[in-house]
Amino acid sequence: MRRLSAWLGRIGPTLVLLAAAVFFIAPLLSTARAAFHKVPTILLDRHTWFTKWSFDGIRRAFNEEFFWPTLLLGLKLALVTVLITMVLLVPTALYVHLRLPRARALVEFLTVLPYVVPPIALVAGVAAFFRPNARWFLNSDFSLAPFYVVIAMPFTYRAIDAGIKAIDVRTLVDASRSLGGSWAMTLRKALLPNLSASLLSSAFLTATVVLGEFTIASSLAKNTFATFSFEYFGRDPQGGIGLALLTLLATTGLLGVLTIATRSKSRRAMAANRG
Amino acid sequence: MTALTFSAVRKTFGSNVALHGFDLDLQQGELVTLLGPSGCGKTTALRIAAGFERADSGTILVQDVDISKMPPNKRNMGMVFQSYSLFPNLTVAGNVEYGLRTRGIDKATRLARVAEILDLVQLGSLGERYSHQISGGQQQRVALARALAVEPSVLLLDEPLSALDAKVRATLRDEIRRIQTEVGITTLFVTHDQEEALAISDRICVMSHGRIEQLGTPTEVYREPATPFVARFVGTMNELPATITGTAEVAVMGNRMGVPAANGLAAGSSITLLVRPEDMSLADEGMQGTVASVTFQGSSTLVGVRLDVVDRLVIIDVGQGGADSLSPGDRIGVGVNGANAVCEPSD
Amino acid sequence: MSNQTESPNTVGELREIENSDFDDGPVVSRERGGWAWLGLLPFFAFLTLFLLVPTIGLIRKAFVANDSSFTTDGMTAAITDEWAAFRNSLKISFVTAALGVVLGTALAYAAATAKRPKWLRSLVAAFSGVAANMGGIILAFLFLTLLGRQGLGTKILADNGWDPYKSWFSINDFSGVILVYMYFQIPLMVLVTLPAIDGLKASWREASANLGGSTFTYWRRVGLPVLAPSMLGGFLLLFANAYSAFATAYALNTQSNLVPVKISFYLQGDVTGRSPLPFALATWMILFMGFSMGGYLLMRKRAERWQR
Repeated sequence: MRRLSAWLGRIGPTLVLLAAAVFFIAPLLSTARAAFHKVPTILLDRHTWFTKWSFDGIRRAFNEEFFWPTLLLGLKLALVTVLITMVLLVPTALYVHLRLPRARALVEFLTVLPYVVPPIALVAGVAAFFRPNARWFLNSDFSLAPFYVVIAMPFTYRAIDAGIKAIDVRTLVDASRSLGGSWAMTLRKALLPNLSASLLSSAFLTATVVLGEFTIASSLAKNTFATFSFEYFGRDPQGGIGLALLTLLATTGLLGVLTIATRSKSRRAMAANRG
Repeated sequence: MTALTFSAVRKTFGSNVALHGFDLDLQQGELVTLLGPSGCGKTTALRIAAGFERADSGTILVQDVDISKMPPNKRNMGMVFQSYSLFPNLTVAGNVEYGLRTRGIDKATRLARVAEILDLVQLGSLGERYSHQISGGQQQRVALARALAVEPSVLLLDEPLSALDAKVRATLRDEIRRIQTEVGITTLFVTHDQEEALAISDRICVMSHGRIEQLGTPTEVYREPATPFVARFVGTMNELPATITGTAEVAVMGNRMGVPAANGLAAGSSITLLVRPEDMSLADEGMQGTVASVTFQGSSTLVGVRLDVVDRLVIIDVGQGGADSLSPGDRIGVGVNGANAVCEPSD
Repeated sequence: MSNQTESPNTVGELREIENSDFDDGPVVSRERGGWAWLGLLPFFAFLTLFLLVPTIGLIRKAFVANDSSFTTDGMTAAITDEWAAFRNSLKISFVTAALGVVLGTALAYAAATAKRPKWLRSLVAAFSGVAANMGGIILAFLFLTLLGRQGLGTKILADNGWDPYKSWFSINDFSGVILVYMYFQIPLMVLVTLPAIDGLKASWREASANLGGSTFTYWRRVGLPVLAPSMLGGFLLLFANAYSAFATAYALNTQSNLVPVKISFYLQGDVTGRSPLPFALATWMILFMGFSMGGYLLMRKRAERWQR
C-alpha cells in the first residue's frame, strides 16, 4: 500500500500536468484547424487531412466592411479605458499608501465591489438609470469606457497596489522630496519608472478585456470588435473562427512579449530595493 | 557507547562537495556545536543526521545502531528549526503534543506530558495560544518543547537563535543550555555565531568548506586555535607580518618576542603572526605607534593603534581602565604577549 | 505582535525582553484630520456614478411595478417564474466550482512542487493568468471547434467508436457549458491556490516527519487544514465567477436557460423599461454574488493570516 502511494506520489503530478496540457491545448489546435483547413469536418479522413489549407477565412475577415472600423474603435476604447484607469487609480493607490492608510480597507473593499455587480447586472443598471436619464451619454461609443474601467477595477487596482507594495514608496518619496523635487517630478522620475512593470501589465490586461468584452457592448447595441466577431461568425463560421484565433494569438503574444520585457526590469527594481 | 556518531559521511550537491568524509562522535548528554560560516557543511551534516538528506557514503549511528537508511520519521530525534516551524493551525499545546499523538499515546498521558514540558520551558500559561499570537522567542521555546516532548535520543538545533532579536537571543541561549543539561539530552547545535558556540557548548566543532578545522572545548578553540581559520573565525585576531628568528622566537620588524607556536618552523621563514586583542597591551617601550581610535564598549575599551614599523592597525583590549586619558593622535607603545599567538606561514 | 497579556515577573518565571518593550508609542500620524479624505474624492465620485448609481437604479426598478408603485411582486415573480433558470445557474455554478476546486488544487500542487523543468511553474502561473480572464465568445468558439457537432474532437471520437452526441453530451447543453467553464475555472483556482501552496512551509513538513508523522499524517493534521480556507474561498470565488458569466453561455446557446441570459433576454425584449422582471433577476443575482464574494473575502483573510 505504501509503495503504491509512493509511486502515485511521483507519477501523479506528471499525469495531472499532462492531462491539463491536453485539455488546455486541444481546443486551440482544433480552432486552428477549423480556421485554416477548408475541409468540412464530416469529410475529414486520412486523404483530406493534408489538402486545402489556406488563410482564406482570415482574408475574408479582413475584407469585411466592419473589420477595420471596429478594430480601430476597440483600440481607441482600450486606450481611453487604460488612461482613465491609470489617472484614477494610480494617484488613489499612492494616496492611500502615503497619506491615508486608514482608508486602505475601505478602498480595497470598494475595488472588489464590481465582482458583486457583474457586467450583466451592470448592464441592467445602465438600462435602469442611464437610459431614461442620460441617453445622450449612451449615444457615444466611448460611453463604454467608464464601465470597462469599473469591471476591470478589481484586478487593475490589485496589480497597481501590488506594484506599490513591492517598492518602498515612502522612502522614495521622502528621498525625492528632501532633494527638492516637486510632487510632479517625484511622480515622474522616482515612482512611475519603478512601477512601470505592474502598470504596463495591468494596462495590457485591461486592453485585452476591452477588446473581448461582449456583454455590455451588445446590450448597449454598440458595434465593437467583439460584437462584430460574433455577428460575423454567424454569417461565416470559418472566417469568424479564424478571426477569433487571430485575436487570441495577438493578445497572448503581446502579453508574452510584455512579460518577458518587464521581468528583467522589475527584477532590477526589486533587487535594488532589497539591497 | 556513543550517543551519535558520524562515520566518514560524504555529501555532494551537484559539483559542490558539502562534506568531505565527516567524522564526529557525540557522548551521551553532551552539547556539541557545529560552528562555521555559511556553506561550511554544518547544516548539511545536521540534516543528514535528521534524515532529510541522504549521505552519498558513510554512516550515521545512534548508540551503535546504523540509522543511515532510516526515514526521518522513524529516527526518534527532536529537531528545532531556524524559524516558522510551528504548525499554524494548532495551538501551542496542539503543537507540543503532535509527536505524542503520532506515537499513539493516550490523551491523559499526553496532557500531563504537555503540561510538564511547557513548564520546563516556562510557557505554562500559553497552551491555548496560536503561533501567530506569540513572540519569536516564545515560538522557539514552543518548538523546543515540541521536540523534547517525545523524549528523543538526540536533540538537533538548526540555528535556532538566528532569526531572533539580539536581547532575546542571549536569554534564550542560556535557557536552551539550562534545559539541555537538566534533561541530560545529547545535543547537536548548529550556528555561525561564535559567541553562542563559546557560551553554551561542551565541545565545538569548527568547520570550513566541508571539513573539520578543529574539535575541542571552547577554551581550547579560543586559546589554542589549531589553524589560522579557527583563530580568525573565533574571536578577533590582530595580524602582523613577522619572521621566525629562532626556536619559539619571532620578530616583527626587528622587535623580538617569544612565541611557543613558532616552535618547529624554519628560522628565517616569513609568517603572519595572529595575536588576540587581549594579548596585547599598552607599554611605553615596545613597538611605537599612533592612537587611531578609542572605543568604549562598556565592560572593556578597545584602542586602535597604527604602528610605525609596519603600517598595520592593531586593536588592543585594555579592559576596564588604562585608556581614559588617551585620544586619537597620541603616541603610544604596544607590547605583545606571544604565549597564545598563532603563526600562519605566508606562501 | 502583542505580548501585553503575557504575565509579568511572577516568581520563577522569566519574562523575555522583547524589542517592542522599547517602542516609543504610535508613530506621528501624517493625517490632517478629516480633510485627508478629500484626496479620495475623484475615486469615490467615479465609483458612485458608474457603479453605485446604476446598481441602486436597478434595485429600485426591481421593486417598482408597471404603474410605478412599490411592490415586491417583481422580485417574487422573478424567482418563481424563472425558478428553472435559477436552478440551472445554481447547478452549473456549484458543479463547476466543485470540479474547479479539486482539479485546480491538483494542478496548482503539481505545478508548485515540480522540480523539473524549472520554468514549469511560471508557465502554469502565466497561462492561468491569461486563461482565467478568458471568457466571452472566444472561449465558446474554441470549444465549438473541438466538441461542437462539427467539432474535430467529436469526429475523432465518433470515428473511433463513441459519438458523444448520440449519448448524453451536447455542447449547447449543460454538459457542454460545464466543460467549457472549466477552461477558466481551473486556471482561476490555480491563481488563488498557488500562493496558499507556497505558504506551506517546508519546515512544517520536515517537523511533522521529525515528530514521527507520515505523509498522510502531515496532510491530515497540518497541510489540508492550512489550505482549507483558501480552498473554501476558492470555491466561493469560482461559484460567483460561474454564476455571473454571460457571454460564453450566450455564444454557446442564445436560448440558454440561465439567469444572466434571461436578464439579457428581458432587457432586450422590454422597450418601455417598465417591467421589473430583468431588474428583479439582476437584484437576486447581486444578492447571491454578495454572499459568495463576502464569504470569499472572509476566507482569504483567514488564509492570509497563516501565510505570513
